[in-house]
Amino acid sequence: MRAEELKGHLDAVLLATLEGGPRHGYAVIESLRQSTGGRLDLPTGTIYPALRRLEQAGLITGSWSVVGGRRRREYRLTAAGTRALTGKRADWLDFSATVSAALEGRPCPSPV
Amino acid sequence: MSEPRLISSYLAVLAADLPASIVEELADGLAETHRSYLRQGLAPDLAAESAVAEFGEPQAIVAEFARVNPSRRAARRLLGIGPVVGACWAVALITDRAGAWPVPLAARILVGVALITIIALLAAAALTTRYRLAARTGIAGCIGIATLDAVLITGVTLSSAPMTWVMAGAMTASTARIAFAARSLVPALAR
Repeated sequence: MRAEELKGHLDAVLLATLEGGPRHGYAVIESLRQSTGGRLDLPTGTIYPALRRLEQAGLITGSWSVVGGRRRREYRLTAAGTRALTGKRADWLDFSATVSAALEGRPCPSPV
Repeated sequence: MSEPRLISSYLAVLAADLPASIVEELADGLAETHRSYLRQGLAPDLAAESAVAEFGEPQAIVAEFARVNPSRRAARRLLGIGPVVGACWAVALITDRAGAWPVPLAARILVGVALITIIALLAAAALTTRYRLAARTGIAGCIGIATLDAVLITGVTLSSAPMTWVMAGAMTASTARIAFAARSLVPALAR
């Protein structure tokens, strides 16, 4: 799956990787890779600006630590981020159910 | 273990246009990616090549960071509200027949040149894919527009022209823009 296909959903995917607890950039990428079985083909370097954007939006918060003599920035979900993730997840489930129904020619399930 | 030259060069390209804190974060991620390839059994040089390839073109990373630069976002918003504030002033100055005010021609030209320069700075910040240029022009544009608004408000306040509702509206719009520009400067200067 290419990066363009993920546009519009990247924020939700990144927020979901932080749902289990704080992670640094590389751990976010590894988590994405594992959860998608390596099917997301994203240039790793573009994940970091996306994390900064989410931080500016107040959905995640970043803090520095020192690991092995190297400074590392770790991100965690804020309360607003948790709410946003819940909303985005519900929107996606509704959207995917609607499109699936249309593609498969069956009635669309009622929204929850 | 010393950093492979390819990774050092890659980080140097990023450091030329990104703040140190961002480069530090990217360096940590790149080092982890490199280590991951080493663990998979790749030779150090090949691991470095793979890590750099996985990260993507440095120019693309810089452009992505430029897009999320607070100065750039502030510049875009200021360009968006600019016509509204400008229209308020246009209506006020026309209604109050400001053309007849005793303002020296040099001062009028100076305000016009300043306005064009500020718009150019904000446009550069809003459109560039270079991080530092976005930051510098955005900050300069914010300071410039706030200063110009302050000059206009002060000039009208000190003048003997009667205060009308439309002029008060234009001054309120400018005051709101000064507050917005000042608030935008805090995250922009923090970088």
